Amino acid sequence: MASSATASEEAVKAAKVLMVGAGGIGCELLKTLALSGFRDIHIIDLDTIEVSNLNRQFLFRKCHVGQSKAHVARDAVLKFRPNINITSYHANVKDAQFNVEFFKQFNVVLNGLDNLDARRHVNRLCLAAEVPLVESGTTGFLGQVTVHVKGKTECYECQPKPVPKSYPVCTITSTPSKFVHCIVWAKDLLFAKLFGDKNQDNDLNVHSSESGSSKSNVFERNKDEDLDQYARRIYDHVFGYNIELALENEETWKNRRRPNPVYIRDALPEEDSRQNGSSHDCSNEQEEPSAMVSLGFRNPQEIWNLADNSRVLLKALRLFFEKREKEIGNLIFDKDDQLAVEFVTAAANIRASSFGIPLHSLFEAKGVAGNIVHAVATTNAIIAGLIVIEAIKVLQGDYKKYRMTYCLEHPSRKMLLMPVEPFEPNKSCYVCSETPLLLDVNTKTTKLREVIDKIIKGKLGMNLPLVMIGHTLVFEDGDGLEEDEAANYALNLEKVLAELPAPVINGTKLTVEDFQQELSCSINIKHREEFDEEKEPDGMVLSGWSAPVEKQVTSNGGASSSGAPDTDGNPEDISTKPGMKRKLDEILDSKENFDASSTSSAQVVDDDDDDDMVMLDEDPKLAKKKRLQ
Amino acid sequence: MAAAAAAAAEAKTKYDRQLRIWGDQGQAALENASICLLTCGPTGSEALKNLVLGGIGSVTVVDGSKVELSDLGNNFLLDVGCLGQSRAKSICLFLKELNDAVKAKFIEESPVSLIDTNPSFFSQFTVVVATQLPEGSLLKLDGICRKANIVLVAARSYGLTGLVRVNLKEHNVIESKPDHFLDDLRLHNPWAELKEFAKSIDINDKDPVVHKHTPYIVMLDLIRNHMLNFDEENYKEAVESSYKVSVTPGISDEICQIIDDSSAKVNSSSSDFWVLVVALKEFIANEGNGELPLEGTIPDMTSLTEYYVSLQKIYQAKAEFDCLAMEHHVKDILKRIGRDPDSISRTFIKAFCKNARKLRVCRYRSMEEFSSPVLSEVQKYFTHEDYWSVSFTLHLLINLFSFLHWKFLRSYTLTGASLVANSMCPLQM
Repeated sequence: MASSATASEEAVKAAKVLMVGAGGIGCELLKTLALSGFRDIHIIDLDTIEVSNLNRQFLFRKCHVGQSKAHVARDAVLKFRPNINITSYHANVKDAQFNVEFFKQFNVVLNGLDNLDARRHVNRLCLAAEVPLVESGTTGFLGQVTVHVKGKTECYECQPKPVPKSYPVCTITSTPSKFVHCIVWAKDLLFAKLFGDKNQDNDLNVHSSESGSSKSNVFERNKDEDLDQYARRIYDHVFGYNIELALENEETWKNRRRPNPVYIRDALPEEDSRQNGSSHDCSNEQEEPSAMVSLGFRNPQEIWNLADNSRVLLKALRLFFEKREKEIGNLIFDKDDQLAVEFVTAAANIRASSFGIPLHSLFEAKGVAGNIVHAVATTNAIIAGLIVIEAIKVLQGDYKKYRMTYCLEHPSRKMLLMPVEPFEPNKSCYVCSETPLLLDVNTKTTKLREVIDKIIKGKLGMNLPLVMIGHTLVFEDGDGLEEDEAANYALNLEKVLAELPAPVINGTKLTVEDFQQELSCSINIKHREEFDEEKEPDGMVLSGWSAPVEKQVTSNGGASSSGAPDTDGNPEDISTKPGMKRKLDEILDSKENFDASSTSSAQVVDDDDDDDMVMLDEDPKLAKKKRLQ
Repeated sequence: MAAAAAAAAEAKTKYDRQLRIWGDQGQAALENASICLLTCGPTGSEALKNLVLGGIGSVTVVDGSKVELSDLGNNFLLDVGCLGQSRAKSICLFLKELNDAVKAKFIEESPVSLIDTNPSFFSQFTVVVATQLPEGSLLKLDGICRKANIVLVAARSYGLTGLVRVNLKEHNVIESKPDHFLDDLRLHNPWAELKEFAKSIDINDKDPVVHKHTPYIVMLDLIRNHMLNFDEENYKEAVESSYKVSVTPGISDEICQIIDDSSAKVNSSSSDFWVLVVALKEFIANEGNGELPLEGTIPDMTSLTEYYVSLQKIYQAKAEFDCLAMEHHVKDILKRIGRDPDSISRTFIKAFCKNARKLRVCRYRSMEEFSSPVLSEVQKYFTHEDYWSVSFTLHLLINLFSFLHWKFLRSYTLTGASLVANSMCPLQM
């Protein structure tokens, strides 16, 4: 015992570790590492500090809001541990400087990330650099720590990751039945249409039957158009006229409740436009503009009625044009943007009332729209402690003692912390083995760009992909390309697969690579013409990779160390319920003598957060099977 | 005024992520709590950090020692500048920095001597957290805390293993948050307005849309007489929910036991909880007509918006009526026992009414009666060398939050990577 304690002390002293993420878990982890005797710690985090971090990220103070998490965390820990080395990077872990060579200098990598994308990226770099990875996440009182060592245990991507729930386009555009559908509509269609990039595809009007009529400019404010008139025109168009149009399609409503068109004159009958148009308000000039505040609504947990929502919507629209006109055209929904949240809440509620869906408060709507995960310091502290335990085992090469540990909300089998032996690598994992994938796609109508966006970047998580067909390079991403090459690739992007310089047809094999991630995989193409719009909305189907099985919890938002968090550009990042409960049940089931009923306390979490995120990874069924073999 | 509103708004933002766990009421419970920490070593400091970050009302640190070199290596709340100073004082300074909304006080005295010389000191707190206290002093403290019905959390760390015990005499739970609970639809005993509404709906309406969107509550009420066309969503819902009609009418045994408990005879020193229980008893005998106050919420269902909203209003109105009646009883009782009739807030009464079916009373044995089994558990796990932990005492906070969130209490033994709950089986009432 004594000798093993000394050995671990020595291992700790000599270790060089990389922490990715200095958020909720990161703060606790850095403290615990420092107190446990680690002396050479590197931290990467892209984020800056926000007020909503302060309830748990205890290395930060109010005066640090807006500053780099990595730097402030470093300085805070050096105050009570002045003699250790902490190197901080205020940067995206996906940046090119953090290449395989960079990763190779570390004995172990510790993740405290908040999004799938960055987790997958780090996993690939750790595999390529052959550095062990300790991965973690928390949501409310739930949390988990897993260990990934190449060749010894499964990699982070050996099991399917829960992927954000996506909704069929027509549910969002025409037939919402849940509040979340209205939120997605308000956030990804209406908000994006009015304030976002005008060149972005947007389905807002797609299903209105008036094709041909050049209505596409209806959302533009006309020259000299009174702001109030514009706001009312938009209101009537999206909540009134568009609904009327949709109602004309009798087929849609045969088995559905018909929505009620809402016009501003009905929602706010008592107010004439002049009254509503008073643009001055008493709110302080230097403060962030807020429709709620200007209208005197104080409580974000109160549910506004249709009239109040209509007032908030009109006001928010005005405020965007009056106070933030420069940003219009570049805005992306952000859950920390008060005015954007107000606009989306009001728009979603008006739509909800038109479709007979119960209305929600701003607080609730913000949670849905921002995929906010609830979080407290305690769970992060426990998880950080467990990460350090696993890290020390890893440093000692004690792989028989590695454990995945789950932190539960209620004791199950009298335990709150549940250790589980790690699984073996999945032999058909496209990341850590070399199994080819299969893509069903219509090669005659699908453009290369769609395959790259939806599959290679979207599903395989590559950052800067390169695509080869046989020996022909058809696409490469990244800087440093010759001008003519770049132009050539740009042309290829817009070509359908069958018309590429090296045609892609049934049976073709694509090779895709990401040099930064040192990941290469093959995709066999199968030509198929018919796709189910509801079930296969991408118009192509990738198999042989760990396909998503469950609805999920994504993480979101602040995005510690990856620049492209699952922010809010598309309907896919809304999540409902993750598979936590079932997963735990299955894992517990697979242990002998387990009383499965006792796990009913393992609760399901609904949403996410910016800072510290769990998620529940492997497909419990697969996991179970493997363990039993 | 504006400054206060701004501060409130900032607190909402700061606590947003945890408000999503325990809501405003949980947060209010936390903010109204005052906590006393005995001995601020690494274990106590971790616990305090988590409580202070969450916004606990006030903290009083009792510790008689000075900061030594050995404290610097293991306590992140202290730095070189603190050497030689009072440990309690140094920790308090740091806590203020961590969250300026929290009041932090310190007392430079050894906890052991404070327990001996000034037992009444502890009665001012909501929770006492005792770390690394010798068993004898701990049992004495447990006695003191039980007398005043104060929560005692005792934590001890032994190298890489540790033990957390939570105790108090009686724990009253309003929001017990059971996993499964039937909606309070009151279909077994509908009141006049609900009956009238059900009657007003023509279930034979020929309009297919109306027919498809008749709320199932109404149908449940009528379904026995109007079995129609079963391929419609709302009818399926009705059939699937039909067990709700047969929900055991009247009041559950658990609630009956609480109402008949010996504490349900109030005097001027009774807690608010028991005042409300007596009010509940009077309500059931009078306005309640043998029933508890109505919860007043209905689940989502397939329905025309108009119908849903009307139903919602009917349920809400009845719940408000019941709550108002309860409020009258509460005021009467408070007057009778010589307390200010407005001393129990309407919000509290409302929460009580909403959860009237879920009230729980837990009573726990003293540590003296209950200390031995825990020790044997600990010993058992000492032999497991392959798990060990660094920052286990943090689970303290889970316990405290559970308490403040009005849930059940348990004690935990940490055994490396497994934390074992020793459910402190409540005494039978």
